Amino acid sequence: MTTSLREDITVEEKALLAEVGYEEENERAGTCVLVDQAVRHIGLTDNAVEILPLAEALRRYDWVQDLMFGLIDPDEDERIAEVAESRHAPVGHFVRVLEGAKVRLPIQLFTLLAAPQGRQFHHNITVIEKGAEVEMISGSAVPRSVHAGHHVSLSESYLREGAICRSVSIEHWAANMEVHSYARSRLEKNAHATDSVIQLAPVKHHVSQSRSYLEEGATANDQSVIYAPVGTTRIMDSETWLKGQGSRSESITRMVTAGGVISNRSTLIGDASGTSGFLGCNGLKLTDEGEIFSVPALRALNAQAQLSHEASIGMIDQEKLSYLMASGMSEDEARDLIIQGFLNLDEQKIPEAVREEVIRAIAAARSGAM
Amino acid sequence: MPAKPLVLADVEIAVGPRVLLRRLNLTIGAGETHILFGPNGSGKSSLLSAIMGLPPYHVTRGEVRLGGERIDNLPVDARARLGLGMAFQRPPELDGVTITALARALRADAGLADAAAVLDLADFVRRDINVGFSGGEIKRWEILKLFLQRPQICLFDEPESGVDLEHIAAVGAAMERLLGRDGTGDQRRSALIITHTGFILDHVQAGMGHMLVNGEIICSGDPNRLFAHIKSHGYTLPPWASEPAAAASDERIAS
Repeated sequence: MTTSLREDITVEEKALLAEVGYEEENERAGTCVLVDQAVRHIGLTDNAVEILPLAEALRRYDWVQDLMFGLIDPDEDERIAEVAESRHAPVGHFVRVLEGAKVRLPIQLFTLLAAPQGRQFHHNITVIEKGAEVEMISGSAVPRSVHAGHHVSLSESYLREGAICRSVSIEHWAANMEVHSYARSRLEKNAHATDSVIQLAPVKHHVSQSRSYLEEGATANDQSVIYAPVGTTRIMDSETWLKGQGSRSESITRMVTAGGVISNRSTLIGDASGTSGFLGCNGLKLTDEGEIFSVPALRALNAQAQLSHEASIGMIDQEKLSYLMASGMSEDEARDLIIQGFLNLDEQKIPEAVREEVIRAIAAARSGAM
Repeated sequence: MPAKPLVLADVEIAVGPRVLLRRLNLTIGAGETHILFGPNGSGKSSLLSAIMGLPPYHVTRGEVRLGGERIDNLPVDARARLGLGMAFQRPPELDGVTITALARALRADAGLADAAAVLDLADFVRRDINVGFSGGEIKRWEILKLFLQRPQICLFDEPESGVDLEHIAAVGAAMERLLGRDGTGDQRRSALIITHTGFILDHVQAGMGHMLVNGEIICSGDPNRLFAHIKSHGYTLPPWASEPAAAASDERIAS
């Protein structure tokens, strides 16, 4: 194993991270763990994968400077500006998969906020080089003892020509935390990205903003499962730009509120001929508390763009509840099963440990234990 | 769980203020299989739904007892846990809920593979329940569900409708196995089966038939004889038929 940075994470931290996808490192092509405002641990088992602290990557490769803030404008938002103008060295990971590599095991990347009332400002850059193929699992967690803090992250991902990246992201913040995340990705010619985003744990206020730019023949498929128990507000704003001829995307968002607030603005922009895209935004409202505000939007800038969307918000169907209860399960068990089904937690895409954690999270949120 | 009789005593069933069925007296003894015949709209499915406790059906008069315990005031899940199970005629589609997930929730995943193979549903266990199933596949799944649930009394709502001929024998054989009649040593279960076509009579041993017309059971007797009469004379009272109340005590064929 080639290890570039090994300041070990504790058994307790590993247990915490296991809830968001961590597995022993011999099962992973690469591992990176950021704790508070430092890159604590990097481990590698695949020579085609390079992971560095971003500050180290900037020193080692001058071209990384061109990638940093290459997809996001520092003037876009005051929080981004704050990160850009910081006099401290940037904190975050730099992940690179070498050209043509077919990486067999997933790369795992984690953020841990361990300091109570801690503040994190992370800037992460990912480069999947031409023709490379990789799976990535990323997770965010806090110890049970930490209730409040503020996390800001900027992520810039570059998928070069023909690159393939399948990713799963699981966020498990604390109930009184503020989170602001900004993600930008560029998919070059014939690149392909599949993203699964899981945000189920309570968090006071989570604002996420993402922009994807697809060039000729690129494809992007993403599914997000969003849960908002009482006291949680999630505000999501995404734009998918189909900029290259023949680029395609499909985006499915499933939202459940058990008393929290979810606002989801999702925009699909067809900006080239032969592009096609679909937005699906479905909401399930479990109680009269809380709110789901769902705005799927289509914007055609080219006559040859084919865009469509569907949106729905409803409650749990009494007929389905009764059907399951007729097999002997309680109403709560039946509700949980329907919610899990609605969130459509694809067992093939989500690690078993994470899936179990999600099921526990739904049951806990429903019972008010979270 | 020992088998228990299901008793309906002077039962009236309504949806809101509208009475659908009345004066229902029926006793299904432990291990017995009864068949319910009736024209469209006679209230057969409503009766099964009301016994199971499914909304919007309510028992507004009389009592439904399971093993001496009154159940008509219990919610549907409590009735199921006491031993009632139902194969639905038109069950809902459950997007995202796989057969495997339901089996896991019922803590019956250990027996799923074998039970699914018996019903030719081995390839379905990772499919969402009833989503994209054909009519026959739905019926086979509903029986598989009862294998997982293992109730004492099975309510079948037209188990053969929509099933192609090559699968009717398999459905019948699976029902016989579920009911403990195939000699595999499983416990004997009771059943109340609605049939429209009567095909299932060729494959399931039933001891008693009932004819339901306009919301009332008008006669009871040997199910094959009753079905033969229906084929010849429609849903009319056969001259040989007993009164329903008498059938409950005199003509009931104990298994």
